[in-house]
Amino acid sequence: MMWRQVLIIGGAVLAAVLIELTLLSRLDLPGATPDLVVVTIVAIALAMGPMQGAAAGFTAGILVDLAPPADTLLGVNAIVYIAIGFVTGFVIDPRDRTVPIEMGIVGLSAAAATLGTAALDTLLGSGRVSWEDMPGMALSSALYAVILAPLVILAVAWIVQKATPEILVT
Amino acid sequence: MLSRRTRIVLSVLVVTALTFIILDLRGGEGPLTGVRNVAANALGGLERIAATAFSPITNATGWWSTMRDQATQIENLTKENDRLRGESETFANDRARVAALDGLLRVASVGEYRMVPAEVIAVGPAQDFSWTVTIDAGKDDGIEPDMTVINGEGLVGRVLKTTANTSTVVLIVDATSAVGGRVAGSEEIGIVSGTGRQDSLEFQLLDPLADLRIGDSLVTFGSKGGRPFAPGLPIGEVVEVSGTPGQLTRVATVKPFIDVSTLSVVGVVTRPPRTDPRDSVLPKSATVNPSPSPVPLGSAADAAASESPSPSTDDGASIAPTPAPAPTKETAATLQPRKPKKASASPS
Repeated sequence: MMWRQVLIIGGAVLAAVLIELTLLSRLDLPGATPDLVVVTIVAIALAMGPMQGAAAGFTAGILVDLAPPADTLLGVNAIVYIAIGFVTGFVIDPRDRTVPIEMGIVGLSAAAATLGTAALDTLLGSGRVSWEDMPGMALSSALYAVILAPLVILAVAWIVQKATPEILVT
Repeated sequence: MLSRRTRIVLSVLVVTALTFIILDLRGGEGPLTGVRNVAANALGGLERIAATAFSPITNATGWWSTMRDQATQIENLTKENDRLRGESETFANDRARVAALDGLLRVASVGEYRMVPAEVIAVGPAQDFSWTVTIDAGKDDGIEPDMTVINGEGLVGRVLKTTANTSTVVLIVDATSAVGGRVAGSEEIGIVSGTGRQDSLEFQLLDPLADLRIGDSLVTFGSKGGRPFAPGLPIGEVVEVSGTPGQLTRVATVKPFIDVSTLSVVGVVTRPPRTDPRDSVLPKSATVNPSPSPVPLGSAADAAASESPSPSTDDGASIAPTPAPAPTKETAATLQPRKPKKASASPS
């Protein structure tokens, strides 16, 4: 059922974006904001596959760039997130998937998203990115993502299994 | 290997995203502007709902920030307590005079800033390096781009764009932000730009020979027509001066009066004052006594509010900066030609 997948991807990504902007970013945690959006994209890619991962990445990137208070170019986050969703779904062999590997993937993805978006923004002429703060941002982002990972991956996997039993990640 | 379908979907997505970037890079009104506005409207509405749902948690974060710097806070409070004890001895004498002046000043000065109160409902992720927030008031509340945003402590930023019910505000600490500033007292002018860090601004003096000292306070210079920045609003305090007088450019580090990490209630200035109030709305301690930790305006306002019945309880003016006593002559001059109208903010 195609529409169920679309619904799951859209719903999960929208919820992640809203929670990140209205809750997580306001907690005033040191370093980066916990990147729930990236964790959700990775979780979808792990549960559904590379194509759905890329679709989730695209949706999330567009939503992040559209939702106020974003003041970035539309599509920058989408490119980065498509890559993350696709690569995660593509490289992970479902047979040797273990919790530490999944957490590692999530951590790497969060750091890559932070670096990738900053690099693209700089290339496209944004004057905001401060590269001296970058290592701290990337590390804290990875750390928060690893903490969020088990919960989000389990929740997404459970929903996907219930709603779309026809998906078999190959 | 990849299926044909996956490859097609992937390339369509990438091409679409690239197209968006290229269209957006061009700037100005493009084919995407309408779509963007509709989407921002819808997402802004959802953010309002989500922010309400999460408000018990976000309100509790004040506790977290308090826990973190408790030691410094205790130290500061002890100092302040000592100072206040001394002041309270003389306070009784001043009380009667303050009460009499308060009503007068409130109408004269506070009423000149007409504001719409709003609450911060969403904040951009820190890893975007942009200091922008969403507030829950928009076009329907009379807010337009390039309006000044303040809170009880001082200048917060300016409105960047609006949707029907929400607005995006660029904070003064954002790296793209630049505000015309004036040194309170010496009237020297310069440019205050954001650094992207939440606790420091950069102040560049236009006159390299000007005298600038640590502890000096800065207020906004004001823009033409009060947009994007209304005049006379407190910005911050100089904490470090680099360069010597006469050097080509003199740059100072300024600590903003606002605490961007704990922003919640702000006011959008929909009508700036008719005349520049100069530095009369600075926190009192910042002008009188350049101590490293000026009492935020909020507490001054609280103290004043308990003294007299004020319009602050029944409308949005509670976040108005309380003026330090201005010369009476000036007050009378501003007051006379206008009716003592209520310092009201339009209801949101």
